[in-house]
Amino acid sequence: MRVLSTVKFTLLRMLRNFIVLLLLLIVPIVLISLFSLILSGAVTDTGEPYLKQPAVSLVLCFQLFGGSTVMYMIHSELFTEHRARMQMLPISLTMYAFSIMLCGVVYSVMLGVILMTFTQFVLGLIWEHWLWTIYLITLMAILSSVVYLVFMFAVKVYKTAERLSEVYGIGFILLAGLFFPMPDHAFFRFMGSYGNPLTLSTIAIHEMSMNNTSKAWFAANILLAATIILFLVMMVVGRRRFMRDRV
Amino acid sequence: MTVFKFSLKRSFSNKTNLLLLTLFPIAFIFFPEGEYWPVLPYGYQYFGIVLLFISIRLTTIILVDRAKGVVKRLAVAPISYGSYLCQNLLAFSVILVMQCAIVVYGGVLLGVELYQPHWLMLLYVSFSFTSLAIALAWISIFRSKESAFLIYMSLVTLLAILGGLLMPLQIFPEALIRIAVLFPTYWLNQGMSWIASEGSVGDFILINGVLWLYTIIFMILGSTRKIH
Repeated sequence: MRVLSTVKFTLLRMLRNFIVLLLLLIVPIVLISLFSLILSGAVTDTGEPYLKQPAVSLVLCFQLFGGSTVMYMIHSELFTEHRARMQMLPISLTMYAFSIMLCGVVYSVMLGVILMTFTQFVLGLIWEHWLWTIYLITLMAILSSVVYLVFMFAVKVYKTAERLSEVYGIGFILLAGLFFPMPDHAFFRFMGSYGNPLTLSTIAIHEMSMNNTSKAWFAANILLAATIILFLVMMVVGRRRFMRDRV
Repeated sequence: MTVFKFSLKRSFSNKTNLLLLTLFPIAFIFFPEGEYWPVLPYGYQYFGIVLLFISIRLTTIILVDRAKGVVKRLAVAPISYGSYLCQNLLAFSVILVMQCAIVVYGGVLLGVELYQPHWLMLLYVSFSFTSLAIALAWISIFRSKESAFLIYMSLVTLLAILGGLLMPLQIFPEALIRIAVLFPTYWLNQGMSWIASEGSVGDFILINGVLWLYTIIFMILGSTRKIH
């Protein structure tokens, strides 16, 4: 388990990237504070604050972009800049790749939890099921890093993979209908409900707060299944890419 | 007009840019209409954000020139910085105006309800100059293309919300509505509601005037030559 000695440095490198901190932590905090200012304590008929829905979406939306750190690190460590250096080291590269992924997921989840804490203690929004929400945030973070890695492995040019990952993030936000209602069509209805990680996790959190445990688990399990399948795809594509790039 | 020609070529040579500059505005024509809000279809309501976004992508050419030392070389070449800047800006504004034309007149061709398309075109052109000037001022304080772009995008989101492009201004608290007047996006939003409601021409001139005022201010801020 020599890989463990690298974890500390991986985490430090992630934490020091101020652009990521700005985009994935400061921006959502400013946005949610703005929303809370605008909605200023308005409540729906059922007594739930209007802020709840945007807060849940926002916390989950930014998880869609959480994979970017993992993609960037794996690309520079195992494929370009540090590739030769890493191959010299007496560590298992597969384990090293997993450790980077794990660090990225932990980091992304941490940002999500900070956001939740902020909304609960500063804006006074009550999150009922903390563990359940954190579980879903974790699933979203894992899914996003897996998807980002699949893009990076499958596409030759790194820039294209970056663009694709933006399409993944913004596309699912659009398909979830957060910007404007999607047209009433079978495809859009599917992509706005069970074909969309963002809505799946929103449904799971919402159903859990309504105490519909079975529905909540159903949505979360679809997400889990998608993650596992894509994880296997990622393993295959990643190994192939790593062998192909061998000098 | 060599710089102008190459600026145009460079803007279109990047594959992502090519996609952004051609398919993107066309896609916006097909966005649905809102029920109570916004007054224009969603694509037209959000088009201001697209203009801000495209301006920063275009103006990064100037940032790249500065980072690569092209500006330094231009300083000794028989071309003034003013002419270099003007030709670049001319190329960018030609692209932006073309996009506005595609969106507005494409919408007219497809029969989208735009109330007064010519006035809308004028408003978009005014706003595209404003967004170009803001982007120019923004990149003048950065050295790296990526950070300039990413931080600008988060700023644009805030501008869009506070100006009332993403949410109706009516639900804002009193204090925020007052502050909103400071943002150019607010004036774009006002212009679009003017177009739907047929106010007096004076109001529309005022709205465009404010946008042009912003253009001049930011253009002055962004036009200084910086050699690193």
